[in-house]
Amino acid sequence: VAVVLLPAVLAAEAGGQKRFELDAATVGDALRQLPVRNLLFDESGELRRLINVFVDGTDARGGRLLEEPLSAESEVRVVGAVAGGSACAAA
Amino acid sequence: MLLLASRAMGALLPVGTRKGLFLVRGEGNSWDVEGPLLPGWAVYHAMVDPRDGTLHAATNNPFYGATTHRSTDGGKNWERSEDIGLPEESGLKLNATWHIEPGADSELWLGGDPGVLFRSGDGGTTWEVNRGLLEHPTRERWQPGAGGMCTHSIQLVNGTIYVAISAAGAFRSEDGGETWTPINKNVAAEFMPDPYPEVGQCVHKLLAHPKRPERLWQQNHCGVYRSDDRGENWERLDGNGLPTSFGFPLALDPDDPDVAYVIPEQSQEHHFSAEGRLGVYRTSDGGTSWELVSDGLPERAWVAVLREGFAYDGDGNIYFGTQNGSVWTAPRGGSEWTEAVRDLPPILSVEAAAP
Repeated sequence: VAVVLLPAVLAAEAGGQKRFELDAATVGDALRQLPVRNLLFDESGELRRLINVFVDGTDARGGRLLEEPLSAESEVRVVGAVAGGSACAAA
Repeated sequence: MLLLASRAMGALLPVGTRKGLFLVRGEGNSWDVEGPLLPGWAVYHAMVDPRDGTLHAATNNPFYGATTHRSTDGGKNWERSEDIGLPEESGLKLNATWHIEPGADSELWLGGDPGVLFRSGDGGTTWEVNRGLLEHPTRERWQPGAGGMCTHSIQLVNGTIYVAISAAGAFRSEDGGETWTPINKNVAAEFMPDPYPEVGQCVHKLLAHPKRPERLWQQNHCGVYRSDDRGENWERLDGNGLPTSFGFPLALDPDDPDVAYVIPEQSQEHHFSAEGRLGVYRTSDGGTSWELVSDGLPERAWVAVLREGFAYDGDGNIYFGTQNGSVWTAPRGGSEWTEAVRDLPPILSVEAAAP
């Protein structure tokens, strides 16, 4: 099984669970099994722009991203992009 | 619109901030803070449903998108909406959730960006987009304001629904949201080539008076307005004691339809308190004249109060939260202000609820 690790906000939304062991052939398969999938994907099924995925330490955006194959020993780490410092626009 | 008296037993204020939700409880000079709840989420608006006590929050995160959360145990445990979004054929995506309002029976309404409205019949588990507004024939003439194209005001009065969108204007529905009529006559859009268009006005906040429902008030990008005929006609009210025509928040008195409160800002280019002071301005004559009610408020201040940052309860007590993290309270009339809380994260919204 592959292991998926979530950052704190997503783990809180998953009932406090930050580590998931999943049978998944690809990154997309794994992420779509998570209870927080509607936070990772928008309403048209696209991975949200500021979400990065690392597979065994390598940025999956540099590869096939959601189609990136997983092995039984793969570690998938979901990380929010480094995008701090901007103001939110709730004017 | 449901308002509950709160001050007699102390107030409960759900305060939405950029860094989560805080529950502020107390009265007079004694206030406590609980939070942050929902850490990691910017809470654009939160309210306690007076029908069942459920706490609802419009929650947004730059990484994980826009959604809503609800808690039936006072904020200890939260459930996130399971289904919220826009239909793919619309070509639009949900950018933010802005305001949650109780509707008829058990329904809830939710305003969002880009100029959309949702209805929930299951307590906020799932949200169905309102097609009448999504597919409104004037939509191509709408444009986003600085805060996005947000549906921020939802008022339900005697079967009529009002919404206001920045910058699309105000709309009224008499058929439960099937169709929407623009109600922007005499409301200026000075930033447009035609300064009085059918739609495109930048409403900052719209409220209906709970006891005189044909009377509407709005703080607009271009002035303060009142309508006495359900939005058919609007009268511009600024210039009779207000330091500027620009501002975002608005509050009313639940018992006196002639009373309204605004917190003017310097200008559309300078979003801080007008004339370098934190001032609440009150009218007691339907907007014919305005007076400063600021006893207790700082006389030198450059702060901002956002459109969801001003609230009133069923006893007429008024509350607002600032971008620098203070919550101010005053009894009816606003004659004496108390800083209930300070040093919260930037405040996006304040509501008043029964504790």
